[in-house]
Amino acid sequence: MRLGADGLSKRYGNVQANDHVSLAIAPGEIHAVVGENGAGKSTLMRLLQGVEQPDSGTIIVDDRPVHLPGPHRAFALGIGMVHQEFMLAPDLSLLENLVLGEEPLRIAAGPVSRIDWVEAQNAGSALARKAAIEIDWSRRAGSTPVHVRQFVEIIRLLRRGTRILILDEPTAVLAPRQVDDLFSLLRTLRDQGTTIVFISHKLKEVMALADRVTVMRRGTVCFSGAIADTTVAEIAGHVVGGDTRPPSAATSQSTEIPAHGNVAFAVEDLSSAAVEKSHPLHDINIHVAAGEIVGLAGVSGNGQHELIECLVGLRPSRRGTVRLGGTDVTDAGNGERRRLGMGYVSADRRHEGLALTASIEANAVAASHRAPPVRRGWFVDRRAMRTVAVDRLAKLDVRYGALGDPVSSLSGGNQQKLVFAREIATNPKLLVVSQPTRGVDLLGIAAIHDILRRFRGAAGAVLLVSEELDEILELSDRIYVMAGGRIVGERRATETSVADLGALMLTGTGVHD
Amino acid sequence: MIIDQIIAASIVLTTPILLAAMGGLVNRQGGIVNIALDAKMLAGAFVAVVVSSATGSWLAASLAAAAAGAMIGYLFSLVITRAGANMIVAGLGLNVLVAGALGFILNWVYDSSGTLRLPDVALLPQFLPGWMERIPLIGLALAELEPLTVFAWISVFVLPMLLANTRWGLRLRATGNAPQVARAMGIAEKSVQDVSTAIAGFFSGLGGAHLALASIGLFNEGLTAGRGFIALAAFYFGRDKPVATALVCLFFGFLDASQIRMQTAGLPPKLIGTIPYLMVLIALCLAGWRQRRAKETIS
Amino acid sequence: MIEAAKTGFHPTLLFERGLGLAFPFFVAIAVASAVLLLIGENPVDIFSLMLSESFGSARRIAATLSAATPLLFTGVATAICFRSGAFNVGVEGAFVIGGLCGAFIGFSLPASLGYGLIPLAFAFAAIVSAVWLFIPGYLLAHYEVDEVVSTLMLNFVAFGITGYLVNGPLLSEMSGNNVTPLVHDVAQLPRLMPPSTLHAGFLLGLAVVVAYGIWARSTPSGFEGMLVGANQRFARAVGISIPSTIVLVMVISGIVSGLGGASHALGQLHRFADGFSPGYGFTGMAVALLGRNNEIGILLGAILFGALASAGTTVQLFSDIPLDIVNIIEGTVMIFAVVELGRLGFLRRRQS
Repeated sequence: MRLGADGLSKRYGNVQANDHVSLAIAPGEIHAVVGENGAGKSTLMRLLQGVEQPDSGTIIVDDRPVHLPGPHRAFALGIGMVHQEFMLAPDLSLLENLVLGEEPLRIAAGPVSRIDWVEAQNAGSALARKAAIEIDWSRRAGSTPVHVRQFVEIIRLLRRGTRILILDEPTAVLAPRQVDDLFSLLRTLRDQGTTIVFISHKLKEVMALADRVTVMRRGTVCFSGAIADTTVAEIAGHVVGGDTRPPSAATSQSTEIPAHGNVAFAVEDLSSAAVEKSHPLHDINIHVAAGEIVGLAGVSGNGQHELIECLVGLRPSRRGTVRLGGTDVTDAGNGERRRLGMGYVSADRRHEGLALTASIEANAVAASHRAPPVRRGWFVDRRAMRTVAVDRLAKLDVRYGALGDPVSSLSGGNQQKLVFAREIATNPKLLVVSQPTRGVDLLGIAAIHDILRRFRGAAGAVLLVSEELDEILELSDRIYVMAGGRIVGERRATETSVADLGALMLTGTGVHD
Repeated sequence: MIIDQIIAASIVLTTPILLAAMGGLVNRQGGIVNIALDAKMLAGAFVAVVVSSATGSWLAASLAAAAAGAMIGYLFSLVITRAGANMIVAGLGLNVLVAGALGFILNWVYDSSGTLRLPDVALLPQFLPGWMERIPLIGLALAELEPLTVFAWISVFVLPMLLANTRWGLRLRATGNAPQVARAMGIAEKSVQDVSTAIAGFFSGLGGAHLALASIGLFNEGLTAGRGFIALAAFYFGRDKPVATALVCLFFGFLDASQIRMQTAGLPPKLIGTIPYLMVLIALCLAGWRQRRAKETIS
Repeated sequence: MIEAAKTGFHPTLLFERGLGLAFPFFVAIAVASAVLLLIGENPVDIFSLMLSESFGSARRIAATLSAATPLLFTGVATAICFRSGAFNVGVEGAFVIGGLCGAFIGFSLPASLGYGLIPLAFAFAAIVSAVWLFIPGYLLAHYEVDEVVSTLMLNFVAFGITGYLVNGPLLSEMSGNNVTPLVHDVAQLPRLMPPSTLHAGFLLGLAVVVAYGIWARSTPSGFEGMLVGANQRFARAVGISIPSTIVLVMVISGIVSGLGGASHALGQLHRFADGFSPGYGFTGMAVALLGRNNEIGILLGAILFGALASAGTTVQLFSDIPLDIVNIIEGTVMIFAVVELGRLGFLRRRQS
């Protein structure tokens, strides 16, 4: 066993992130670790890298138990990781990035030692040749295509003695052809003896690349086996839990489902370009009727975030129309859409949903401060503001100390209830809700689900994005499934299951241009 | 003749700006915008005059000035990198603090307000033979050449090599460009920044020594006349590249030298003095405009 | 968490806030004490002398308030921007520009306009200074031009332009160098407590502080500025336009700076002179930082620095302690004010 784990457990507060996780990876093997967000993959990788220490259990390298007090020790043992955030300095050349931190020297003279660029170039070229790729080392990292940057990171790790390569969703940022290039590189490395741990959401890729696969769910390992002995459907079933229905039903054509009630919100042929790291969107067609909760399911990073930003007016779209209650709001900003009757609960509560350092009162009335009763003529009526805030918070039973306290003094569940209190107080026609229960405790989750149902009961329209399939199924009337920046399927909640949706969103990710 | 004089004066007036700018650009390549260069120049000038008078040695005076600048710079850096102070406000504060401290010392120790005259101040030596003055155009400049000017221009051509090809240079650039990458590669990025701020202090201190010891041999509270900020403007405009920055400094030195002559031609010196700052503003606008256009073409 | 929230009282929070306000000042006092001890003076004696010199009598209080007057304006002008997350260090330049504009109206228009001159002078100063700071505000809002550098550079441009004007076109024929003519008598702000130089500009300064407090607490744009300063992404997601908020606060900051400059020109110097401001804009920054952008904090901070300045002058006469001790204190306050803020996480964005 090159790298292994035996009964690793790690707890953060109330969350058991890893629960007796065991793993065995043989030398020269490509081992995929799959699972939903929050399944415990990242925690496991942090433990294997020595970034954090397990509460119990042991890590095994080369058949021997090891203690990893910090990342340096793991690195010295040959464990190296390529993160989703690339670790290359954009203004330096690829060669400079390659040697940074461990420079070959021509003259050793302390800090002013001259770097031996010839030696560096040779080392880089040799490694690149060995990996059967070509790299122009003189290029600036920032202007290098993303897959080449990834190669450079991998080569840099190999140069510094990495034998066990961990890749965290390496294909998330790559185009299909680049994925092929990466995979052939990884296979070459495997054949030369490097052990590779490949973390991914995309089952098709796992099937194409890995030798073995381990599935994690809710902090535990729920499946492990050779790729040759399993199927996409089986893995998908383990990833989302529940029964393992054959995927044939899942990949069938989506049927036109007529909307009942008035269409509160309609999106036609919406497309947007990729800017920097964002995912492009292709021909999105969705609608939400009054009195309906519509779920949007998908593996994270398939464009849901970008779509939501387009829909609430925080990101420009390139093509298509967006209608809110009959009004064309395609070119309207967030403020205008809010005035026309839209509420928005952001997935990123701490950075977008709330201003943590500002007062509870300010957070509760923001966005309503330019309308009566808060606004009176040129001024903000402080007393009205206070009353409005108190009313809103009381309606949803938000527990707080004083209105002037920073909102960061509230618990996660109360913070989220405050966000809802603000967003539904103006009776919007449409509520766009993203990851409403992330980081919220059980009581809070129940309360938030109740809020959403009551909102629907009052003829409100809800577009709900969540990575929790159970949540989507429980709340939604209708569900869209998103993959690769497209809507790949539509289901009535009564006619689908976790397994069905899971298979659709996982296998659907192969749908590239 | 007039041209000879302008060239010679330009060279002399360029040196202090150039020295401070070289230090400042090293600092900025490491990710710190140092707006306290002026304070360090002032401190350097003061120390240079005191030490020069006490020892009679321009060399000891220059080194002491550089050391004083480096020490102030290092302490300043600790406040930024370790205590998390905002570099702009702390820098402005340091300018006020150093000016206050020097004024205080001047007043208390030397019992003078504003100006410090000490006996036997050794000026920077002009080491080339006097007959060189007869060489056309650059003769006067050559005859007036002194060691700090030579050092400044050597540094212009050595610094690019140090930054590009040494271990420290690479790590400095990585730190300034992407501190989290530097940290991930095992580089102590805060220490790298501290050293770079000390270097900025070192060069600024030398610049101050040049101001004090090039010709006047005394210290005055207004001696730097905002040259630390001109240096800032120079490396902003020169985009932190040593040679480009040096050329900008030369231009600023030329403006400074020709101010009085331009006045007779009807161009007021005060307005000419704003040119460096206007140049930076225009450069910033162009960069912002270009960036925005690039963004628009992507989306 | 919930338990603590229910009580509605956070002793640690109050303590931190109080400490945050006092911390930089304590450090500065400690530094000044060390300096005084070093030269063999008793800091207690000196500080009590300073206290009596700044607040000991009606005349001394008037001198203190007079010295605090420009700081009321520059402190507010800085705080408006800081609380909205715009790092404007250009108040100094706008103040100087405003001073020149106010003085220009005061001496160039016919004295027959009478007391109408004063509002005209203030209006002109406010408009020109507003335009002055609109430039970096617009560049920041629409082209992401770093406002720190642009406003810093504009300060020097302001010094250059005003320096040129008082030595050229606007030079007084009566006196030697670097000054404009005196403004007409009717354009001078009335003195409140002659022979002290305390003038009506102080009242205007107080009004500005009060107006700032009202703006910050009780207007939609003040509310929006606070949210933009607290969290730009949040502000955007609740429908607030970041660019227009930034431009607005920069313009208001310019107006306040211009009023301050005009008040100083018409009330204190009765003209514009080179070296018009010995760094009021930067001291205003220290005032805003020390006062945590709070109107009462700014008032106290301005009076504190005013007291230091006015006491410093006389203490120098009585005890040989150089006036520069004031600068030492001010510089230390500025440095340590941001050390604290840095730890609290505010203003930290610039470091990355």
